[in-house]
Amino acid sequence: MKVKKIVSILLASILTVSMIGCGDTKKQQQDTIEGFNSKGDKLTVAIWDNNQQPGIQKILDEWNKESEIKAEVQVITWNEYWTLLEAGASGGALPDVFWMHSNQSQRYSENGLLLDLTDKINQSDKIDLNNYYNDIVKLYESDGKQFAIPKDIDTIALWYNKTMFDEVGVEYPNENWTWDDFYEAAKKLTKDDGSQWGYAINTGNNQDSYYNMIYDYGGYVINDDKTKSGYDDPKTIQAMEFVEKMLREGLCPELEVISENGADVLFQSGKVAMVTQGSWMVAGFRDNEYTNKNCDVAVLPKGPDGKRVSIYNGLGWAASANGKNTEAAWSLLEYLGSKEAQLKQAQLGVTMSAYIGTSDEWVNSVDSFNLQGHLDMLDAELVIRPYSRNTNVWEDMAIETFKGAWTGEMTMEEACKKIAESMNASLAEE
Amino acid sequence: MRKDYGKKTSWEKNQFIWGWFFILPTLLGLIILNIIPIFQTIYQSFFKTGDFGKGNIFVGFSNYTRMFQDKAIWQALWNTVKYAIVEVPFSIVIALILAVFLNRKMAGRAIYRTIFFLPMVAAPAAIAMVWRWLYNSEFGLINHLIGRKINWISNPDIAIFAIAVIGIWSIVGYNMVLFLAGLQEVPRDYYEAASIDGASGIFQLLKITVPLISPTIFFVAVTRVIGAFQVFDLIFMVMDKTNPALIKTQSLVYLFYRYSFTEANKGYGSAIIVLLLVVILILTGFQLFAQKKWVHYN
Repeated sequence: MKVKKIVSILLASILTVSMIGCGDTKKQQQDTIEGFNSKGDKLTVAIWDNNQQPGIQKILDEWNKESEIKAEVQVITWNEYWTLLEAGASGGALPDVFWMHSNQSQRYSENGLLLDLTDKINQSDKIDLNNYYNDIVKLYESDGKQFAIPKDIDTIALWYNKTMFDEVGVEYPNENWTWDDFYEAAKKLTKDDGSQWGYAINTGNNQDSYYNMIYDYGGYVINDDKTKSGYDDPKTIQAMEFVEKMLREGLCPELEVISENGADVLFQSGKVAMVTQGSWMVAGFRDNEYTNKNCDVAVLPKGPDGKRVSIYNGLGWAASANGKNTEAAWSLLEYLGSKEAQLKQAQLGVTMSAYIGTSDEWVNSVDSFNLQGHLDMLDAELVIRPYSRNTNVWEDMAIETFKGAWTGEMTMEEACKKIAESMNASLAEE
Repeated sequence: MRKDYGKKTSWEKNQFIWGWFFILPTLLGLIILNIIPIFQTIYQSFFKTGDFGKGNIFVGFSNYTRMFQDKAIWQALWNTVKYAIVEVPFSIVIALILAVFLNRKMAGRAIYRTIFFLPMVAAPAAIAMVWRWLYNSEFGLINHLIGRKINWISNPDIAIFAIAVIGIWSIVGYNMVLFLAGLQEVPRDYYEAASIDGASGIFQLLKITVPLISPTIFFVAVTRVIGAFQVFDLIFMVMDKTNPALIKTQSLVYLFYRYSFTEANKGYGSAIIVLLLVVILILTGFQLFAQKKWVHYN
């Protein structure tokens, strides 16, 4: 039958097309997985930030010139990165060299998955851990051993839209601002018709939003022993109530709008006048035509007692303990931590570097913004991004519980107390 | 029947060996990739798992007792059910109607069939990203067209249905192709006879087409229910973790992913997935039982 024939041909062709489609994705997956297996003749370097790739590639090119073994960089997005790393760690196939983050470093170090660098650093003439910001060095230390070389340091600063400030005649943010000045400015910069807001809080990332306010107000998130939550501290609650006030008065977009778009996208599309963002966003804001033309950056406002805290963090370069060529991996780490490479990282505008004193170069890497705001945050009171052994558990819980407070289902005080209770329970389990 | 029943002729032996030989690749794949992991997962659900699969501690049923007290789990199960209730019937009915229309002789039939099938070929992650921007309340095309501001994916009351719409859109083409294949088995004369007797198109559809392709419908229903209960990628890609509607949209597999991979609690994740397995088993068993009432095999 003719109809049957046509249908079968059609079905066959559709199936072939779909199989080619599947084949492609399978091949890509395979490439990623194979890429993770070190082959001995090249080093795989895994990172998660697309914005940093070009710069990192340039730095690796320098190393490749000298070395017989070549390093290849792979970018895997943040979420997949940890899933793949976790799978690689259980299956014994980690990348040779990769970024480590404070949320995860303890687990990886304690389980012997990361190459122990202690002796190598002691023997090295290029690496001296005193040259890096101490708290970042400590993030990657476990049982007195060092498992990663500090890569960078980040700070949070206040990004603002100059055009919007000019429009309503508000003075640009300066180093004398307190959070109350910030509130007043946000009020003037908010339009009643909902087309423009004063500030957008990044509800998904605590480090670049409410953590700074909590510490400015004298509160804390986790105690030094990592045993107790600070969310029920009255000062913490006071800071969070400041955020609550801004939301209730409509100076921030509702949670729905923020979660669908992200604070950075709202800023880049000219919907909000101010955001607090990390220095890792500089490349993104530089490459966006709108922010490049209209925006600039200043230090974060101070707390009511004049306290200015910078919640900072820094990544580390780590190597796999079971890699095929740990000698080459160490040699690469040594290069990446050297003053030369760290300076290059700053000059190329990749990020600020963890090597003390190299970041002045970073300020000059972008013409369009006055990055001094980010750099000056290093002179504020530095507090390392709160972490514990299993940070993700209570961080995600806090983000989930705060939703109730953002939307007004519960008061901020209730939310904070609930978070503290739940966080104390999960800290007890660690 | 032959007397020497126990012995096989060489032809039968050949059949036997080659039969197994041909299903061997599939069989091995199933055992290694599906069946062994099922038992490992069940085994793991009784442990407080250590980091990276090392240092597991046996905890008996404590993951399960925690699960039965966890409100988020039951909410997730209810979300999954809501998703399935919308996705399965709509994707079947729409696909069936499309298949009937595209089974007629008409111009551009092959083109239409291909277009409806295309979403199946696209990567789910890409589909989810496109729909996420279509649904966007500030800049989205849908709100722009209807001129209203609806929070499609961040309003807890409607978000799960908005996601189900994406699910329907992606799967309709695949179901349609299966129905088209089923329709080829229906003899033309039935329709001719029915037309002569004056039966309307809808009457023919309900009284001839549906009963005659009921085995295909049954197959699609069973596989779609299973597929719908395993929904994950759409929710993962569309819903940001700060989304206020997340708690009312996250599925069981989403929670499994969250506990297993972001919170590194594989034991609890395994318990969740065992719950899902039981739910799917019950539903499929029920469908197999109910088919006697409505599926007609020739």
